[in-house]
Amino acid sequence: MPIYEQAYRRWEARGPLRAVRFWPITREALSLVLAKRAFIGLLVLVWIPFVVRLIQVYIVTRFPEAGRVLPVDGRLFGDFLNQQTGLTLLLSIFGGAGLIANDLRTGAILVYLSRPLTRRDYVLGKLSVLMALNYSATLLPALLLYAVSLGLAPELFLKWELAWIAPMIVLHATILSLVVSLVALAISALSRSARVAGLAFAGVIVGLEIVRGVLEGILDRPEARVLSLQNDLRIIGNLLFGVAETGGAVPAIYPIAVLVLTAAGCLAILRARVRAVEIVR
Amino acid sequence: MGTPLVEFRELAVSYGPLQALGGVSGAFLPGATGLLGPNGAGKTTLLKTLLGFLRPDSGSLRAFGLDPGVVPLEVRRRIGYMPEVDCHIGGMTASAFVAFAGELSGMPRDEAISRSHEVLYYVGLGEARYRTVDQYSTGMKQRVKLAQALVHDPDLLLLDEPTNGLDPAGRDEMLDLIGDIATRRGISLVLCSHLLRDVERVCDTVLVFNQGKVAASGPIASLTSARRVAFDVRLRGEASAFLTDLKDAGCDWREGEDGLRVFLGPDAGPELLFRTARECGVQIRHLRPAAESLEDVFLRALGHEVQA
Repeated sequence: MPIYEQAYRRWEARGPLRAVRFWPITREALSLVLAKRAFIGLLVLVWIPFVVRLIQVYIVTRFPEAGRVLPVDGRLFGDFLNQQTGLTLLLSIFGGAGLIANDLRTGAILVYLSRPLTRRDYVLGKLSVLMALNYSATLLPALLLYAVSLGLAPELFLKWELAWIAPMIVLHATILSLVVSLVALAISALSRSARVAGLAFAGVIVGLEIVRGVLEGILDRPEARVLSLQNDLRIIGNLLFGVAETGGAVPAIYPIAVLVLTAAGCLAILRARVRAVEIVR
Repeated sequence: MGTPLVEFRELAVSYGPLQALGGVSGAFLPGATGLLGPNGAGKTTLLKTLLGFLRPDSGSLRAFGLDPGVVPLEVRRRIGYMPEVDCHIGGMTASAFVAFAGELSGMPRDEAISRSHEVLYYVGLGEARYRTVDQYSTGMKQRVKLAQALVHDPDLLLLDEPTNGLDPAGRDEMLDLIGDIATRRGISLVLCSHLLRDVERVCDTVLVFNQGKVAASGPIASLTSARRVAFDVRLRGEASAFLTDLKDAGCDWREGEDGLRVFLGPDAGPELLFRTARECGVQIRHLRPAAESLEDVFLRALGHEVQA
Protein backbone atom coordinates (compact mmCIF):
# COMPACT_ATOMS: atom_id res chain seq x y z
CA MET A 1 0.00 0.00 0.00
CA PRO A 2 1.33 3.48 -0.72
CA ILE A 3 2.20 5.27 2.46
CA TYR A 4 5.20 7.51 2.56
CA GLU A 5 4.38 10.53 0.51
CA GLN A 6 0.93 11.15 1.87
CA ALA A 7 0.76 14.56 3.47
CA TYR A 8 0.64 14.85 7.21
CA ARG A 9 -0.49 18.17 8.54
CA ARG A 10 0.31 19.27 12.07
CA TRP A 11 -2.77 20.25 14.05
CA GLU A 12 -2.00 23.24 16.19
CA ALA A 13 -5.47 24.23 17.35
CA ARG A 14 -5.41 22.48 20.71
CA GLY A 15 -7.84 24.23 23.02
CA PRO A 16 -8.70 23.87 26.70
CA LEU A 17 -10.17 20.59 27.93
CA ARG A 18 -13.90 20.25 27.36
CA ALA A 19 -16.16 20.60 30.37
CA VAL A 20 -18.60 17.93 29.11
CA ARG A 21 -16.41 15.13 27.87
CA PHE A 22 -18.83 12.21 27.96
CA TRP A 23 -21.14 13.42 25.20
CA PRO A 24 -19.22 11.97 22.20
CA ILE A 25 -19.26 8.58 23.94
CA THR A 26 -23.02 8.73 24.40
CA ARG A 27 -23.66 9.95 20.87
CA GLU A 28 -21.54 7.30 19.17
CA ALA A 29 -22.84 4.45 21.34
CA LEU A 30 -26.43 5.54 20.75
CA SER A 31 -25.91 5.71 17.02
CA LEU A 32 -24.43 2.19 17.03
CA VAL A 33 -27.40 0.86 19.05
CA LEU A 34 -29.98 2.64 16.90
CA ALA A 35 -28.35 1.39 13.71
CA LYS A 36 -29.92 -2.02 14.39
CA ARG A 37 -33.34 -2.40 12.81
CA ALA A 38 -34.48 -4.93 15.40
CA PHE A 39 -33.79 -2.42 18.11
CA ILE A 40 -35.87 0.24 16.37
CA GLY A 41 -38.66 -2.36 16.29
CA LEU A 42 -38.29 -2.80 20.03
CA LEU A 43 -38.46 0.96 20.54
CA VAL A 44 -41.72 1.03 18.60
CA LEU A 45 -43.00 -1.85 20.73
CA VAL A 46 -42.41 0.03 23.99
CA TRP A 47 -44.75 2.78 22.78
CA ILE A 48 -47.72 0.43 22.33
CA PRO A 49 -48.82 0.77 25.99
CA PHE A 50 -48.72 4.53 25.50
CA VAL A 51 -51.19 4.25 22.62
CA VAL A 52 -53.43 1.97 24.70
CA ARG A 53 -53.43 4.48 27.58
CA LEU A 54 -54.11 7.29 25.16
CA ILE A 55 -57.16 5.45 23.88
CA GLN A 56 -58.24 4.89 27.49
CA VAL A 57 -58.01 8.63 28.25
CA TYR A 58 -59.86 9.46 25.02
CA ILE A 59 -62.66 6.99 25.76
CA VAL A 60 -63.13 8.31 29.30
CA THR A 61 -63.27 11.91 28.09
CA ARG A 62 -65.88 11.01 25.49
CA PHE A 63 -67.81 8.52 27.61
CA PRO A 64 -67.42 9.58 31.28
CA GLU A 65 -69.28 6.50 32.52
CA ALA A 66 -66.35 4.39 31.22
CA GLY A 67 -64.30 5.97 34.02
CA ARG A 68 -65.88 3.54 36.46
CA VAL A 69 -64.25 0.62 34.62
CA LEU A 70 -61.15 2.45 33.39
CA PRO A 71 -60.43 5.10 36.03
CA VAL A 72 -58.47 8.07 34.74
CA ASP A 73 -56.69 10.02 37.47
CA GLY A 74 -53.17 10.50 38.89
CA ARG A 75 -52.80 6.76 39.47
CA LEU A 76 -53.02 6.17 35.74
CA PHE A 77 -49.46 7.45 35.32
CA GLY A 78 -48.13 5.33 38.18
CA ASP A 79 -49.72 2.24 36.61
CA PHE A 80 -48.36 3.21 33.22
CA LEU A 81 -44.79 3.59 34.51
CA ASN A 82 -45.02 0.31 36.43
CA GLN A 83 -46.15 -1.34 33.24
CA GLN A 84 -43.20 0.12 31.39
CA THR A 85 -40.69 -1.41 33.84
CA GLY A 86 -40.63 -4.73 31.99
CA LEU A 87 -40.04 -2.92 28.71
CA THR A 88 -37.13 -0.91 30.13
CA LEU A 89 -35.59 -4.25 31.14
CA LEU A 90 -35.92 -5.45 27.54
CA LEU A 91 -34.43 -2.21 26.21
CA SER A 92 -31.56 -2.52 28.67
CA ILE A 93 -30.84 -6.11 27.67
CA PHE A 94 -30.74 -5.39 23.95
CA GLY A 95 -29.29 -1.89 24.12
CA GLY A 96 -27.05 -2.09 27.14
CA ALA A 97 -25.59 -5.58 27.39
CA GLY A 98 -22.76 -4.80 24.98
CA LEU A 99 -22.03 -1.26 26.06
CA ILE A 100 -19.00 -2.14 28.20
CA ALA A 101 -18.67 -5.85 27.41
CA ASN A 102 -17.87 -5.10 23.76
CA ASP A 103 -15.26 -2.50 24.73
CA LEU A 104 -13.61 -5.03 27.03
CA ARG A 105 -13.63 -7.66 24.28
CA THR A 106 -12.26 -5.47 21.51
CA GLY A 107 -9.82 -3.56 23.71
CA ALA A 108 -11.62 -0.30 22.94
CA ILE A 109 -11.54 0.55 26.63
CA LEU A 110 -7.90 1.55 26.07
CA VAL A 111 -8.92 3.88 23.26
CA TYR A 112 -11.17 5.71 25.68
CA LEU A 113 -9.00 5.73 28.76
CA SER A 114 -5.79 6.75 27.00
CA ARG A 115 -7.55 9.98 26.02
CA PRO A 116 -8.16 13.03 28.19
CA LEU A 117 -11.13 11.29 29.80
CA THR A 118 -11.64 9.99 33.30
CA ARG A 119 -13.21 6.64 34.11
CA ARG A 120 -16.15 8.66 35.41
CA ASP A 121 -16.56 10.31 31.98
CA TYR A 122 -16.56 6.89 30.37
CA VAL A 123 -19.16 5.43 32.74
CA LEU A 124 -21.28 8.57 32.48
CA GLY A 125 -21.13 8.37 28.69
CA LYS A 126 -22.30 4.77 28.67
CA LEU A 127 -24.87 5.30 31.42
CA SER A 128 -26.36 8.19 29.47
CA VAL A 129 -27.04 5.83 26.56
CA LEU A 130 -29.14 3.58 28.78
CA MET A 131 -30.79 6.51 30.49
CA ALA A 132 -31.77 7.93 27.11
CA LEU A 133 -33.19 4.57 26.01
CA ASN A 134 -35.04 4.02 29.26
CA TYR A 135 -36.34 7.57 29.37
CA SER A 136 -37.72 7.00 25.88
CA ALA A 137 -39.82 4.21 27.39
CA THR A 138 -40.78 5.96 30.61
CA LEU A 139 -40.36 9.70 30.99
CA LEU A 140 -41.10 10.68 27.42
CA PRO A 141 -44.34 8.71 26.91
CA ALA A 142 -45.53 9.42 30.45
CA LEU A 143 -45.06 13.17 30.09
CA LEU A 144 -46.62 13.07 26.63
CA LEU A 145 -49.56 11.10 28.01
CA TYR A 146 -49.95 13.70 30.76
CA ALA A 147 -49.81 16.55 28.24
CA VAL A 148 -52.38 14.87 25.99
CA SER A 149 -54.59 14.14 29.02
CA LEU A 150 -54.40 17.79 30.02
CA GLY A 151 -55.45 18.75 26.53
CA LEU A 152 -58.25 16.18 26.22
CA ALA A 153 -59.66 16.40 29.72
CA PRO A 154 -58.65 19.66 31.41
CA GLU A 155 -61.61 19.28 33.78
CA LEU A 156 -60.01 16.07 35.11
CA PHE A 157 -56.35 17.05 35.27
CA LEU A 158 -56.01 20.84 35.30
CA LYS A 159 -56.31 21.15 39.06
CA TRP A 160 -53.93 22.44 41.72
CA GLU A 161 -54.36 19.29 43.74
CA LEU A 162 -53.07 17.25 40.79
CA ALA A 163 -50.05 19.47 40.12
CA TRP A 164 -47.85 16.78 41.71
CA ILE A 165 -48.31 14.43 38.76
CA ALA A 166 -45.64 15.88 36.46
CA PRO A 167 -42.89 16.02 39.16
CA MET A 168 -43.80 12.47 40.26
CA ILE A 169 -43.57 11.24 36.68
CA VAL A 170 -40.08 12.74 36.43
CA LEU A 171 -39.04 11.29 39.79
CA HIS A 172 -40.41 7.80 39.19
CA ALA A 173 -39.08 7.61 35.62
CA THR A 174 -35.68 8.75 36.86
CA ILE A 175 -35.51 6.21 39.71
CA LEU A 176 -36.69 3.43 37.42
CA SER A 177 -34.37 4.30 34.54
CA LEU A 178 -31.35 4.93 36.75
CA VAL A 179 -31.60 1.67 38.69
CA VAL A 180 -32.25 -0.47 35.62
CA SER A 181 -29.48 1.30 33.69
CA LEU A 182 -26.97 0.88 36.49
CA VAL A 183 -27.70 -2.83 36.87
CA ALA A 184 -27.47 -3.40 33.11
CA LEU A 185 -24.21 -1.46 32.87
CA ALA A 186 -22.63 -3.22 35.84
CA ILE A 187 -23.51 -6.63 34.39
CA SER A 188 -22.13 -5.54 31.03
CA ALA A 189 -18.86 -4.65 32.77
CA LEU A 190 -18.61 -8.15 34.24
CA SER A 191 -18.35 -9.91 30.91
CA ARG A 192 -16.48 -9.65 27.62
CA SER A 193 -19.47 -10.97 25.70
CA ALA A 194 -22.60 -8.93 25.06
CA ARG A 195 -24.59 -12.15 24.74
CA VAL A 196 -23.42 -13.47 28.10
CA ALA A 197 -24.07 -10.08 29.72
CA GLY A 198 -27.58 -9.95 28.27
CA LEU A 199 -28.38 -13.46 29.46
CA ALA A 200 -26.89 -12.69 32.88
CA PHE A 201 -29.05 -9.57 33.20
CA ALA A 202 -32.18 -11.49 32.25
CA GLY A 203 -31.10 -14.27 34.63
CA VAL A 204 -30.68 -11.87 37.54
CA ILE A 205 -34.10 -10.31 37.00
CA VAL A 206 -35.93 -13.62 36.49
CA GLY A 207 -33.93 -15.38 39.21
CA LEU A 208 -34.76 -12.73 41.82
CA GLU A 209 -38.41 -12.89 40.79
CA ILE A 210 -38.42 -16.66 41.29
CA VAL A 211 -36.70 -16.42 44.68
CA ARG A 212 -39.20 -13.76 45.68
CA GLY A 213 -42.13 -15.91 44.66
CA VAL A 214 -40.82 -18.95 46.53
CA LEU A 215 -39.99 -17.00 49.71
CA GLU A 216 -43.27 -15.13 49.66
CA GLY A 217 -45.07 -18.44 49.33
CA ILE A 218 -43.15 -20.06 52.16
CA LEU A 219 -42.96 -17.16 54.60
CA ASP A 220 -46.27 -15.56 53.63
CA ARG A 221 -44.83 -12.16 54.40
CA PRO A 222 -45.06 -9.15 52.04
CA GLU A 223 -41.48 -8.10 52.97
CA ALA A 224 -40.21 -10.92 50.75
CA ARG A 225 -41.30 -8.82 47.77
CA VAL A 226 -38.32 -6.52 48.16
CA LEU A 227 -36.09 -9.30 46.80
CA SER A 228 -37.42 -8.56 43.33
CA LEU A 229 -36.04 -5.46 41.63
CA GLN A 230 -39.23 -5.02 39.63
CA ASN A 231 -41.29 -5.18 42.80
CA ASP A 232 -39.10 -2.62 44.53
CA LEU A 233 -39.57 -0.24 41.64
CA ARG A 234 -43.29 -0.92 41.60
CA ILE A 235 -43.63 -0.32 45.35
CA ILE A 236 -41.80 3.01 45.02
CA GLY A 237 -44.00 3.92 42.06
CA ASN A 238 -47.16 3.06 43.98
CA LEU A 239 -45.92 5.14 46.88
CA LEU A 240 -45.26 8.15 44.66
CA PHE A 241 -48.62 7.95 42.88
CA GLY A 242 -50.68 6.96 45.89
CA VAL A 243 -51.65 3.54 44.55
CA ALA A 244 -52.58 1.05 47.27
CA GLU A 245 -50.43 -2.09 47.52
CA THR A 246 -52.36 -5.29 47.15
CA GLY A 247 -51.61 -8.18 49.49
CA GLY A 248 -50.26 -6.14 52.41
CA ALA A 249 -48.11 -3.04 52.56
CA VAL A 250 -44.34 -3.13 52.73
CA PRO A 251 -42.59 -0.33 54.67
CA ALA A 252 -41.18 2.06 52.08
CA ILE A 253 -37.77 2.02 53.67
CA TYR A 254 -37.19 -1.60 52.59
CA PRO A 255 -37.42 -1.16 48.82
CA ILE A 256 -35.61 2.19 49.09
CA ALA A 257 -32.76 0.52 50.98
CA VAL A 258 -32.61 -2.33 48.44
CA LEU A 259 -32.50 0.09 45.51
CA VAL A 260 -29.83 2.25 47.15
CA LEU A 261 -27.72 -0.81 47.96
CA THR A 262 -28.19 -2.15 44.42
CA ALA A 263 -27.06 1.16 42.92
CA ALA A 264 -24.06 1.30 45.26
CA GLY A 265 -23.11 -2.27 44.39
CA CYS A 266 -23.34 -1.49 40.67
CA LEU A 267 -21.11 1.57 41.09
CA ALA A 268 -18.58 -0.55 42.99
CA ILE A 269 -18.56 -3.11 40.16
CA LEU A 270 -18.08 -0.38 37.57
CA ARG A 271 -15.27 1.14 39.61
CA ALA A 272 -13.52 -2.21 39.80
CA ARG A 273 -14.03 -3.26 36.18
CA VAL A 274 -13.63 -0.06 34.18
CA ARG A 275 -9.85 0.12 34.14
CA ALA A 276 -7.15 0.49 31.55
CA VAL A 277 -5.03 -2.03 33.40
CA GLU A 278 -6.38 -5.38 34.44
CA ILE A 279 -4.64 -6.43 37.61
CA VAL A 280 -4.67 -10.17 38.19
CA ARG A 281 -3.83 -10.92 41.80
CA MET B 1 19.59 16.71 22.36
CA GLY B 2 16.73 18.84 23.66
CA THR B 3 14.96 18.99 26.97
CA PRO B 4 13.57 15.58 27.93
CA LEU B 5 9.88 15.17 27.22
CA VAL B 6 9.57 12.58 29.95
CA GLU B 7 11.80 12.05 32.95
CA PHE B 8 11.53 9.42 35.63
CA ARG B 9 13.63 8.94 38.72
CA GLU B 10 13.76 5.93 41.01
CA LEU B 11 10.33 4.94 39.72
CA ALA B 12 8.88 1.86 41.37
CA VAL B 13 5.54 0.37 40.30
CA SER B 14 3.88 -2.81 41.55
CA TYR B 15 0.89 -4.93 40.60
CA GLY B 16 -0.12 -6.01 44.08
CA PRO B 17 2.77 -8.02 45.47
CA LEU B 18 4.54 -8.20 42.11
CA GLN B 19 7.04 -5.44 41.50
CA ALA B 20 7.02 -4.52 37.80
CA LEU B 21 9.42 -1.58 37.95
CA GLY B 22 12.02 -1.45 40.67
CA GLY B 23 13.41 2.06 41.01
CA VAL B 24 14.18 2.90 37.38
CA SER B 25 15.55 6.22 36.18
CA GLY B 26 15.77 7.58 32.67
CA ALA B 27 14.37 10.05 30.17
CA PHE B 28 12.68 10.20 26.77
CA LEU B 29 14.37 12.85 24.67
CA PRO B 30 12.86 14.46 21.58
CA GLY B 31 13.19 12.08 18.66
CA ALA B 32 12.69 8.35 18.63
CA THR B 33 13.42 6.40 21.78
CA GLY B 34 13.39 2.63 21.94
CA LEU B 35 12.22 0.66 24.95
CA LEU B 36 13.80 -2.70 24.58
CA GLY B 37 13.52 -5.77 26.71
CA PRO B 38 12.06 -9.23 26.93
CA ASN B 39 8.37 -9.74 27.72
CA GLY B 40 7.63 -8.84 31.33
CA ALA B 41 10.63 -6.52 31.63
CA GLY B 42 8.50 -3.53 32.60
CA LYS B 43 8.28 -1.60 29.31
CA THR B 44 4.51 -1.52 29.06
CA THR B 45 4.23 -0.80 32.78
CA LEU B 46 6.32 2.33 32.25
CA LEU B 47 4.03 3.46 29.42
CA LYS B 48 0.93 2.81 31.50
CA THR B 49 2.38 4.76 34.41
CA LEU B 50 3.14 7.59 32.02
CA LEU B 51 -0.50 7.59 30.90
CA GLY B 52 -1.62 7.74 34.51
CA PHE B 53 -3.16 4.24 34.51
CA LEU B 54 -0.90 3.09 37.32
CA ARG B 55 0.25 4.92 40.42
CA PRO B 56 3.93 4.67 41.28
CA ASP B 57 4.81 3.22 44.67
CA SER B 58 7.73 5.61 44.89
CA GLY B 59 9.90 7.82 42.75
CA SER B 60 8.84 10.53 40.34
CA LEU B 61 7.70 10.72 36.76
CA ARG B 62 7.14 13.93 34.83
CA ALA B 63 5.90 14.29 31.29
CA PHE B 64 6.13 17.72 29.63
CA GLY B 65 6.91 19.02 33.12
CA LEU B 66 3.61 17.63 34.47
CA ASP B 67 2.93 14.81 36.88
CA PRO B 68 0.59 12.25 35.22
CA GLY B 69 -0.60 11.14 38.65
CA VAL B 70 -1.85 14.67 39.37
CA VAL B 71 -2.97 15.95 35.96
CA PRO B 72 -3.44 12.80 33.86
CA LEU B 73 -5.81 14.44 31.40
CA GLU B 74 -3.37 17.23 30.58
CA VAL B 75 -0.65 14.67 29.95
CA ARG B 76 -2.86 12.30 27.94
CA ARG B 77 -4.07 14.99 25.56
CA ARG B 78 -0.47 15.48 24.44
CA ILE B 79 0.19 11.78 24.01
CA GLY B 80 -0.94 9.36 21.32
CA TYR B 81 -1.03 5.76 22.50
CA MET B 82 -1.00 2.72 20.27
CA PRO B 83 -1.62 -0.24 22.59
CA GLU B 84 -0.09 -3.64 22.07
CA VAL B 85 -3.47 -5.36 22.19
CA ASP B 86 -6.14 -5.15 19.54
CA CYS B 87 -8.38 -2.14 20.04
CA HIS B 88 -11.28 -0.99 17.94
CA ILE B 89 -14.98 -0.35 18.33
CA GLY B 90 -17.12 -3.06 16.79
CA GLY B 91 -19.34 -1.97 13.92
CA MET B 92 -17.51 1.30 13.27
CA THR B 93 -15.82 2.18 10.01
CA ALA B 94 -12.17 3.17 10.22
CA SER B 95 -12.94 6.79 9.37
CA ALA B 96 -15.66 7.01 12.02
CA PHE B 97 -13.41 5.28 14.56
CA VAL B 98 -10.45 7.58 13.99
CA ALA B 99 -12.66 10.68 13.97
CA PHE B 100 -14.22 9.51 17.22
CA ALA B 101 -10.77 9.03 18.72
CA GLY B 102 -9.92 12.60 17.71
CA GLU B 103 -13.08 13.89 19.28
CA LEU B 104 -12.33 12.02 22.50
CA SER B 105 -8.98 13.80 22.50
CA GLY B 106 -10.78 17.12 22.51
CA MET B 107 -10.92 17.97 18.80
CA PRO B 108 -14.07 19.65 17.46
CA ARG B 109 -16.15 17.12 15.53
CA ASP B 110 -15.71 18.66 12.07
CA GLU B 111 -11.95 18.93 12.53
CA ALA B 112 -11.77 15.37 13.79
CA ILE B 113 -13.68 14.06 10.78
CA SER B 114 -11.54 15.88 8.24
CA ARG B 115 -8.35 14.91 10.01
CA SER B 116 -9.34 11.26 10.26
CA HIS B 117 -9.36 11.09 6.45
CA GLU B 118 -5.92 12.69 6.22
CA VAL B 119 -4.42 10.42 8.83
CA LEU B 120 -5.95 7.30 7.30
CA TYR B 121 -4.46 8.27 3.94
CA TYR B 122 -1.15 8.88 5.65
CA VAL B 123 -1.06 5.38 7.18
CA GLY B 124 -2.12 3.83 3.88
CA LEU B 125 -5.76 3.06 4.60
CA GLY B 126 -7.27 5.79 2.44
CA GLU B 127 -9.03 3.37 0.11
CA ALA B 128 -10.29 1.16 2.92
CA ARG B 129 -11.44 3.86 5.29
CA TYR B 130 -15.16 3.22 4.88
CA ARG B 131 -14.88 -0.44 5.79
CA THR B 132 -15.60 -1.51 9.34
CA VAL B 133 -12.47 -2.23 11.35
CA ASP B 134 -13.81 -5.72 12.21
CA GLN B 135 -13.22 -6.68 8.57
CA TYR B 136 -9.59 -5.54 8.53
CA SER B 137 -6.57 -7.81 8.37
CA THR B 138 -4.05 -7.77 11.23
CA GLY B 139 -1.79 -5.38 9.33
CA MET B 140 -4.65 -3.00 8.64
CA LYS B 141 -5.71 -3.12 12.27
CA GLN B 142 -2.18 -2.13 13.29
CA ARG B 143 -2.36 0.80 10.92
CA VAL B 144 -5.72 1.96 12.18
CA LYS B 145 -4.35 1.75 15.72
CA LEU B 146 -1.53 4.03 14.61
CA ALA B 147 -4.02 6.38 12.94
CA GLN B 148 -6.13 6.72 16.09
CA ALA B 149 -2.98 7.53 18.06
CA LEU B 150 -1.94 10.18 15.52
CA VAL B 151 -5.24 11.86 14.80
CA HIS B 152 -4.94 14.61 17.41
CA ASP B 153 -1.32 15.33 16.44
CA PRO B 154 0.28 14.37 19.73
CA ASP B 155 3.61 15.70 20.98
CA LEU B 156 4.64 12.21 21.96
CA LEU B 157 3.58 8.95 20.40
CA LEU B 158 3.76 5.76 22.48
CA LEU B 159 3.93 2.68 20.27
CA ASP B 160 3.64 -0.60 22.10
CA GLU B 161 4.86 -3.47 19.91
CA PRO B 162 3.60 -1.87 16.68
CA THR B 163 4.89 -4.66 14.44
CA ASN B 164 3.19 -7.49 16.36
CA GLY B 165 1.54 -9.99 14.06
CA LEU B 166 2.80 -8.40 10.83
CA ASP B 167 4.38 -10.30 7.97
CA PRO B 168 7.89 -9.16 6.90
CA ALA B 169 6.60 -6.81 4.21
CA GLY B 170 4.00 -5.31 6.54
CA ARG B 171 6.62 -4.93 9.24
CA ASP B 172 8.92 -3.06 6.86
CA GLU B 173 6.13 -0.72 5.84
CA MET B 174 5.13 -0.09 9.43
CA LEU B 175 8.73 0.67 10.43
CA ASP B 176 9.14 2.99 7.44
CA LEU B 177 6.00 4.78 8.50
CA ILE B 178 7.18 5.10 12.09
CA GLY B 179 10.57 6.33 10.87
CA ASP B 180 8.81 8.92 8.73
CA ILE B 181 6.76 10.13 11.70
CA ALA B 182 9.90 10.56 13.80
CA THR B 183 12.16 12.13 11.21
CA ARG B 184 9.94 14.08 8.82
CA ARG B 185 6.82 14.86 10.80
CA GLY B 186 8.59 16.06 13.91
CA ILE B 187 6.67 13.90 16.38
CA SER B 188 8.70 12.35 19.15
CA LEU B 189 7.97 8.73 19.77
CA VAL B 190 8.70 5.88 22.10
CA LEU B 191 8.89 2.51 20.42
CA CYS B 192 8.38 -0.30 22.84
CA SER B 193 9.51 -3.62 21.42
CA HIS B 194 11.24 -6.86 22.13
CA LEU B 195 12.57 -6.87 18.57
CA LEU B 196 16.05 -5.39 18.41
CA ARG B 197 15.99 -4.75 14.70
CA ASP B 198 12.85 -2.66 14.94
CA VAL B 199 14.40 -0.44 17.56
CA GLU B 200 17.77 -0.27 15.83
CA ARG B 201 16.11 0.76 12.59
CA VAL B 202 13.93 3.57 13.93
CA CYS B 203 15.32 4.91 17.18
CA ASP B 204 18.11 7.28 18.14
CA THR B 205 18.27 6.33 21.79
CA VAL B 206 17.40 3.22 23.67
CA LEU B 207 16.56 2.07 27.17
CA VAL B 208 17.10 -1.61 27.73
CA PHE B 209 14.83 -3.07 30.40
CA ASN B 210 15.34 -6.30 32.22
CA GLN B 211 13.35 -7.60 35.17
CA GLY B 212 11.99 -4.17 36.04
CA LYS B 213 15.34 -2.40 35.88
CA VAL B 214 17.08 -0.29 33.25
CA ALA B 215 19.94 -2.55 32.18
CA ALA B 216 21.47 -0.10 29.67
CA SER B 217 20.56 3.26 28.18
CA GLY B 218 21.86 5.92 25.86
CA PRO B 219 22.13 6.84 22.21
CA ILE B 220 22.29 3.71 20.08
CA ALA B 221 25.36 5.10 18.31
CA SER B 222 27.29 5.56 21.54
CA LEU B 223 26.16 2.20 22.93
CA THR B 224 27.45 0.42 19.89
CA SER B 225 30.55 2.63 19.51
CA ALA B 226 31.60 1.84 23.07
CA ARG B 227 31.56 -1.74 21.98
CA ARG B 228 34.32 -4.17 22.52
CA VAL B 229 36.54 -5.49 19.81
CA ALA B 230 34.83 -8.49 18.25
CA PHE B 231 35.71 -11.02 15.62
CA ASP B 232 33.68 -13.60 13.77
CA VAL B 233 35.73 -16.79 13.86
CA ARG B 234 35.39 -20.18 12.17
CA LEU B 235 37.57 -22.97 13.49
CA ARG B 236 38.78 -26.33 12.37
CA GLY B 237 39.31 -28.71 15.24
CA GLU B 238 37.94 -29.11 18.78
CA ALA B 239 36.77 -25.68 19.93
CA SER B 240 36.07 -26.34 23.59
CA ALA B 241 39.65 -25.96 24.86
CA PHE B 242 40.11 -22.88 22.69
CA LEU B 243 37.02 -21.24 24.12
CA THR B 244 37.94 -22.15 27.70
CA ASP B 245 41.36 -20.57 27.27
CA LEU B 246 39.81 -17.46 25.74
CA LYS B 247 37.45 -17.18 28.67
CA ASP B 248 40.39 -17.48 31.05
CA ALA B 249 42.05 -14.68 29.11
CA GLY B 250 39.08 -12.38 29.78
CA CYS B 251 37.23 -12.82 26.49
CA ASP B 252 33.57 -13.68 25.89
CA TRP B 253 31.93 -15.44 23.00
CA ARG B 254 28.61 -16.46 21.61
CA GLU B 255 27.36 -18.49 18.71
CA GLY B 256 26.95 -16.17 15.76
CA GLU B 257 25.08 -16.57 12.49
CA ASP B 258 28.31 -17.64 10.86
CA GLY B 259 30.49 -19.46 13.39
CA LEU B 260 31.56 -17.89 16.65
CA ARG B 261 31.57 -14.26 17.66
CA VAL B 262 34.40 -13.60 20.08
CA PHE B 263 34.57 -10.41 22.17
CA LEU B 264 38.11 -9.60 23.22
CA GLY B 265 39.11 -8.24 26.59
CA PRO B 266 40.09 -4.56 27.02
CA ASP B 267 43.75 -4.85 26.08
CA ALA B 268 43.65 -7.86 23.80
CA GLY B 269 44.16 -7.92 20.05
CA PRO B 270 43.65 -10.50 17.32
CA GLU B 271 47.07 -12.00 18.03
CA LEU B 272 45.52 -13.49 21.20
CA LEU B 273 43.22 -15.57 19.00
CA PHE B 274 46.06 -16.94 16.91
CA ARG B 275 48.20 -17.66 19.95
CA THR B 276 45.38 -19.47 21.76
CA ALA B 277 44.51 -21.42 18.64
CA ARG B 278 48.10 -22.55 18.23
CA GLU B 279 48.29 -23.60 21.89
CA CYS B 280 45.02 -25.55 21.64
CA GLY B 281 45.84 -27.19 18.35
CA VAL B 282 42.99 -25.71 16.34
CA GLN B 283 43.09 -23.89 13.05
CA ILE B 284 41.47 -20.51 12.44
CA ARG B 285 39.89 -20.86 8.98
CA HIS B 286 38.06 -17.57 8.97
CA LEU B 287 38.64 -14.34 10.91
CA ARG B 288 36.67 -11.19 10.27
CA PRO B 289 36.35 -8.05 12.43
CA ALA B 290 32.76 -7.65 13.58
CA ALA B 291 30.81 -4.73 14.91
CA GLU B 292 29.12 -5.33 18.22
CA SER B 293 25.48 -4.95 17.28
CA LEU B 294 22.67 -3.67 19.42
CA GLU B 295 21.79 -7.29 19.91
CA ASP B 296 25.18 -7.87 21.51
CA VAL B 297 24.75 -4.80 23.71
CA PHE B 298 21.28 -5.99 24.60
CA LEU B 299 22.39 -9.50 25.46
CA ARG B 300 25.34 -8.15 27.43
CA ALA B 301 22.99 -5.87 29.37
CA LEU B 302 20.77 -8.82 30.14
CA GLY B 303 23.75 -10.90 31.19
CA HIS B 304 23.05 -13.54 28.53
CA GLU B 305 26.23 -13.18 26.58
CA VAL B 306 28.46 -16.03 27.52
CA GLN B 307 27.15 -19.35 26.34
CA ALA B 308 29.88 -21.58 27.72
